[in-house]
Amino acid sequence: MKRIGFLLALLVCATPAKAHRLKLFATLEGDMISGYAFFVGSGRAQGAVISIRDAADKEVATLTTDDAGAYAYKAPTAQNYRLTANTGDGHVADAVIDAARFSDAATEVASQSAVADAAPVSSVSQAQIERAVDAAVARQLRPLIEAYEAAEGRTRFNDIMGGIGMIVGLAGLALWASARRREARS
Amino acid sequence: MAHIPDGVLSLPVLVGGGIIAAGAVAVGLKRISDQDIPRVAILASGFFALSLFALPVGPSSVHLLLGGLMGVVLGTAIFPAVCVALLLQAVMFGFGGLTTLGVNIVNIALPGALFGALVSPLIARASAPRAAVIAGLASAACVACTGLLVALSLTLSSADYMLSAKVMIATYLPLMAVEGLVGGFCISFVKRVKPDLLAPLQAPV
Repeated sequence: MKRIGFLLALLVCATPAKAHRLKLFATLEGDMISGYAFFVGSGRAQGAVISIRDAADKEVATLTTDDAGAYAYKAPTAQNYRLTANTGDGHVADAVIDAARFSDAATEVASQSAVADAAPVSSVSQAQIERAVDAAVARQLRPLIEAYEAAEGRTRFNDIMGGIGMIVGLAGLALWASARRREARS
Repeated sequence: MAHIPDGVLSLPVLVGGGIIAAGAVAVGLKRISDQDIPRVAILASGFFALSLFALPVGPSSVHLLLGGLMGVVLGTAIFPAVCVALLLQAVMFGFGGLTTLGVNIVNIALPGALFGALVSPLIARASAPRAAVIAGLASAACVACTGLLVALSLTLSSADYMLSAKVMIATYLPLMAVEGLVGGFCISFVKRVKPDLLAPLQAPV
């Protein structure tokens, strides 16, 4: 009995918490949060409602995805944002944008202009370089992250065969148990 | 769609669905005899594999449910079959969820069991083409009932849960047509090739 309980506990822990059929892709470029809602292996979710909540769990915006399932939101401040996509027929998916991913562009720009007033020597400031690097890295990483998100929840042939094998095994187990019971009776 | 994920439904709905499903699965298991075990396993693996493949339809995406077909062939044994398949889908692929397992079993298997009980005496007596029409209609009706049950579970859980009737109709109507065709074709094929599969399950010895 204890062993069965342990197995059940393992089973619960093993469940991938985020892998639903609807997935929400979200990325940050500058202060623009953008991305799209998609069904793993079968197209984008059009007209899905994206609700954006800030760090205090207050809803700051509700958007609707366009024909390509895409959305975009200009974040007013750098903080944690939680995005929820809802297609209106029981599909829900989450995504999180972490505060640490925002570059300090806003504050840097302010200090940079102060510095520029004082000493207009260097034409390219530190902040400008950082922003350019951030933008370039985000642009180059995006396809990689997209491919990862799409691959993560994909249905694999091996898994399907494994599931079918499991069901066949269960049937065999049931047949074996009933055969033993009949043998014991006779 | 029919696989409601974790964290959407409220506790009373989850518990209610769980209790109904547990009872139905127990009854279904009790009424399976040795000869019927392979039949149950084949349909369970068919449902497990086919309902994994989703196609984009309009704004959402749909997959086959096979409720009507399983109900006609399995009767009450549809509950353990769907239970095993959904459990595997939840654990292996994250389709649906473990907490919502009960509700999802009821939503998919209950219409199948009801319509199966209703039409299988008619199918047993009808000719192959007539059986196809009856099974097709029953399959389509099962999909509609599953859609209604999903809507009901979501609405009961939270009044502010946005459920768009437009999206539901746009996705379930094509699915009803496809399920009707698949159910009708399968039953007429079985009727011609192996009619004793459509006889009701034997009582256990």
